[in-house]
Amino acid sequence: MGAVEVIQRLFDVIIIGAGIVGAALARELSAYAMRVAVLDKAAEIPSGASRANSAMIHAGYDDKPRTQKARFCPSGNRRFHELQGSLDFTLRECGSYVCAFEEDEIRHLDVLLDQGRRNGVPGMEIISGDTLRDREPHASREIRAALWAPSGAIVNNFEAVVAFMDNAQQNGVELFLETQATGLLCSEEKQEVFGVETTKGRFLAPVVINAAGVHAGEISRMAGEESVRIRPTRGEYFITDKTVGHLVKGFFFACPSTKGKGITVASTAEHNLLIGPTSTPQTDLEDTSTTMKGLEEVLDGARKLVPDIPPGAAITSFAGVRANTLSGDFNIAVLRKPRGFVNVAGIKSPGFTSAPAIALHVVEMLREELSDRVIMTPNPRFVPERTHIPRFAELSMEEREALVRRDPRFAQIVCRCETVTEAQVVEAIRRGARTVAAVKIWTRAGAGRCQGGFCGPRVADILARELGIPLEEVTRHGGHSRLLVGRTKEYWFRGNE
Amino acid sequence: MMTDIRIDVAVIGAGPAGVAAGIGAREAGAEHVVVFERDWDLGGILQQCIHPGFGLHTFKEELTGPEYMHRWIERAHGAGVTFRTNTMVFRMEEDGSFWTMNPDEGIQHVHAGAVVLGMGCRERPLGAIRVPGSRPAGIYTAGTAQRFVNMEGYMPGNRVVVLGSGDIGLIMARRMMWEGASVEGVFEIMSWPGGLRRNIAQCLDDYDIPFHLDHTVTQVHGKDRLEGVTVAKVDANKKPILGTERFVACDTLLLAVGLIPENELSRMAGVQIHPVTGGPVVNQCLQTTRENVFAAGNVVIVYDLVDWVSAEGYKAGKNAALFALDGLPKATRRFDVRGGENVRLFSPQWLSDQEDATIFLRVTKPIEQRCRVTADHGLFSKTLRYARPGEMNEVHIKAEQLRMLPPDVREIIVDVEEE
Ligand SMILES: Cc1cc2nc3c(=O)[nH]c(=O)nc-3n(C[C@H](O)[C@H](O)[C@H](O)COP(=O)(O)OP(=O)(O)OC[C@H]3O[C@@H](n4cnc5c(N)ncnc54)[C@H](O)[C@@H]3O)c2cc1C
Ligand SMILES: Cc1cc2nc3c(=O)[nH]c(=O)nc-3n(C[C@H](O)[C@H](O)[C@H](O)COP(=O)(O)OP(=O)(O)OC[C@H]3O[C@@H](n4cnc5c(N)ncnc54)[C@H](O)[C@@H]3O)c2cc1C
Repeated sequence: MGAVEVIQRLFDVIIIGAGIVGAALARELSAYAMRVAVLDKAAEIPSGASRANSAMIHAGYDDKPRTQKARFCPSGNRRFHELQGSLDFTLRECGSYVCAFEEDEIRHLDVLLDQGRRNGVPGMEIISGDTLRDREPHASREIRAALWAPSGAIVNNFEAVVAFMDNAQQNGVELFLETQATGLLCSEEKQEVFGVETTKGRFLAPVVINAAGVHAGEISRMAGEESVRIRPTRGEYFITDKTVGHLVKGFFFACPSTKGKGITVASTAEHNLLIGPTSTPQTDLEDTSTTMKGLEEVLDGARKLVPDIPPGAAITSFAGVRANTLSGDFNIAVLRKPRGFVNVAGIKSPGFTSAPAIALHVVEMLREELSDRVIMTPNPRFVPERTHIPRFAELSMEEREALVRRDPRFAQIVCRCETVTEAQVVEAIRRGARTVAAVKIWTRAGAGRCQGGFCGPRVADILARELGIPLEEVTRHGGHSRLLVGRTKEYWFRGNE
Repeated sequence: MMTDIRIDVAVIGAGPAGVAAGIGAREAGAEHVVVFERDWDLGGILQQCIHPGFGLHTFKEELTGPEYMHRWIERAHGAGVTFRTNTMVFRMEEDGSFWTMNPDEGIQHVHAGAVVLGMGCRERPLGAIRVPGSRPAGIYTAGTAQRFVNMEGYMPGNRVVVLGSGDIGLIMARRMMWEGASVEGVFEIMSWPGGLRRNIAQCLDDYDIPFHLDHTVTQVHGKDRLEGVTVAKVDANKKPILGTERFVACDTLLLAVGLIPENELSRMAGVQIHPVTGGPVVNQCLQTTRENVFAAGNVVIVYDLVDWVSAEGYKAGKNAALFALDGLPKATRRFDVRGGENVRLFSPQWLSDQEDATIFLRVTKPIEQRCRVTADHGLFSKTLRYARPGEMNEVHIKAEQLRMLPPDVREIIVDVEEE
């Protein structure tokens, strides 16, 4: 073991967590001339709740007026629509339906309608079951009425997080992956914060923002603030193959119960069906396993809404952990003590939707409440736009031809299910992808029918080549998740020793 | 601008089916026959099958996959078949034309007098069989692992569990053992093996690899790398039996849980896909529901013997050429094929009275006694010592027999019955 090297880096603002909240905030802060570091313990982003959720950009009728959720959800929804073009992520306008089967559920639709109007949600109406089925022929015959909200949309949540962070990085923000915050650096008696202790050394800054998702409770406790109590709640999902993606156009919700928004059915931004989630409290903050029981519950719930979903169409399952809290609302605050510490915690659903609005709000909080610690002058080199890596599969033949002429690696298909080319994979790596999972997040390579059976080895080869590392060192998602354990025949050489 | 290419017969895929189709098309008189292959090399899945056991029927000797393909590829070159490798067919139109792409020539639009689909199949992933749990590194389909080990020289893991007993899984269990890994067992949810008995004997029994029928993996464990799986016995409805679960430590899970014909292009061309086989509906000429599109090999129905794939490929190529040159003889009568009680799947789905026919079928469950494979109306009957789902059976019918059937016969039932 060599001597422990203490690395110290100096910034104006440190954000802990590169989920949608951290990423959106980083992007807004990049409009100012300041040094911003974003730390994330994972090897790729998104990795927390922002990776595994329903990807619904909620209209905003679910939340009680005067809560932070009711405030940020409709404005976050508008912001997603505004930024879609300039940040180039996939957002599909689909609208949403809350479906009522029983008398009391039909009455509840009125409550939601009223709540939505008070929150400023546009264009909502209650429609009959028959009207619903005219628009959505596969909707269950048992549905008697539905609340229609046209501003509900589906986002590609991977692309959105990556888009915000990519733009932030273009504007000078630095992202540190596999860098876990292990402690806060504070003055005596935690009067002031001046940095973060991490697994990769010390990061110093007068302002530290806690956007650590389910881990926000721990980070908050490091600051001596005990009020953030996260109650992790798991949600399990299925993704089906694209052949059944046409079954629904809008986003289907069952009428909400005390357990949350219930099972939903939606066609994702890429036209797979997403069905889920369950809602199971657990103690572990990280456990994203799926269970037989959970997946059965999901399938049953989904088929109640859309009976034509074939049980065999699943290509993969996943789970996300909600950062639920006792209060049920977001906990966004500049702490008095230690000064310089900001909680953006308890960001549960509709947290994804709300994130861009929360980001603007936090920028205002810094300006108003922490002006003694950060100076907010505009970044003269701020570019508010970025483009994604070309989505080859979605282009016309002429556009493809033009790309191929520019770079022949666009004619080299890596992932055949999603038609992802070598040029896209190489570009993802150039923009920071270091793992097989990261390449999938950036390009969809491995997200299709065969789930990486074909392209996994090819993506691994390209990662090894571009990063200049041996193939055995390529990981699925960082840490110890190596794909391969060594060369063949090594055993025989070992045996001869 | 993008180039348009005009040829007589186009073949998609250069596996055993596609290579033989190329030969069949040339030998039937087609001038310009091109086989398009997305891989760098010819041979399809056989490139990675370095174990012996191929070609007993065709060459009367046991060859490895690459050796077997080498002979066919030589013959194809001799017959004047053109190959385009590293060329992906990524889109097909309803008129049967399609789009290819490679780094040297860019994007091209290929128009052919007839097309043969020979895209093979893909392996079913874990999500499709709904095994819950986490998603660590170390879970591979057996074919992916086979590619890593046999072609690239890398070990995917040291301690292996195999789920499913398809042939590739059995062969990989032995291969991993040879390479020094420990193989903790092969678990199969059905009450009988998915693969050939020969492979159970030669790949598992000979190496004392435990084989558990009526078992499945119910949970995957591990965050970064796989740490183990929970296995359980299943009841008659294939539900795990409470109390039989146990943890098996392993760093690698290989999946041999079925193959799915690769028919995305076929769907784009508007070819009708059979819900049970997962492949195109064809007649004995291997013509699909689009008359200028033919199909052969694993893209039609999953075979277990490559000799049959080559034979069917040849036939598809020949008929595609005849179609492109002067059209195939029109069927004066048409018979739908139906499977009897003990038949799970079969192909072709319909017969014309103009050609001799071979119908391939698989039984629903093993029949471990003397039985007969039959086609009704006295068309075919053959006695077998047994019939097993892992091994395909054949029915042969002559065109004359079909023509002599009474005029009201429109349907032929194939079945396997205990004697
Ligand atoms: C099942 C489910 C369904 C949902 N559906 C929707 C929906 O449809 N619409 C919607 O708007 N919202 C939805 N949500 C809510 C939404 O996903 C979350 O509110 C949002 O993603 C939270 O983002 P975040 O950035 O706060 O947290 P995360 O995305 O969890 O990001 C936190 C990041 O912090 C990092 N981190 C944690 N601890 C440390 C540390 N010590 N050091 C360094 N890094 C650390 C983590 O690695 C992680 O990347 C859903 C949530 C779940 C779980
Ligand atoms: C792992 C494995 C082990 C086996 N072991 C044995 C054995 O021991 N003995 C035995 O007799 N049989 C064995 N078989 C069965 C036999 O090898 C197969 O049935 C046979 O390979 C099928 O041939 P095919 O041409 O239909 O498909 P494949 O061999 O799969 O060939 C399909 C070809 O099409 C190409 N292709 C697909 N899509 C496109 C596209 N869009 N554009 C361009 N090209 C495309 C593919 O790259 C591939 O080269 C085995 C099969 C497998 C999968």
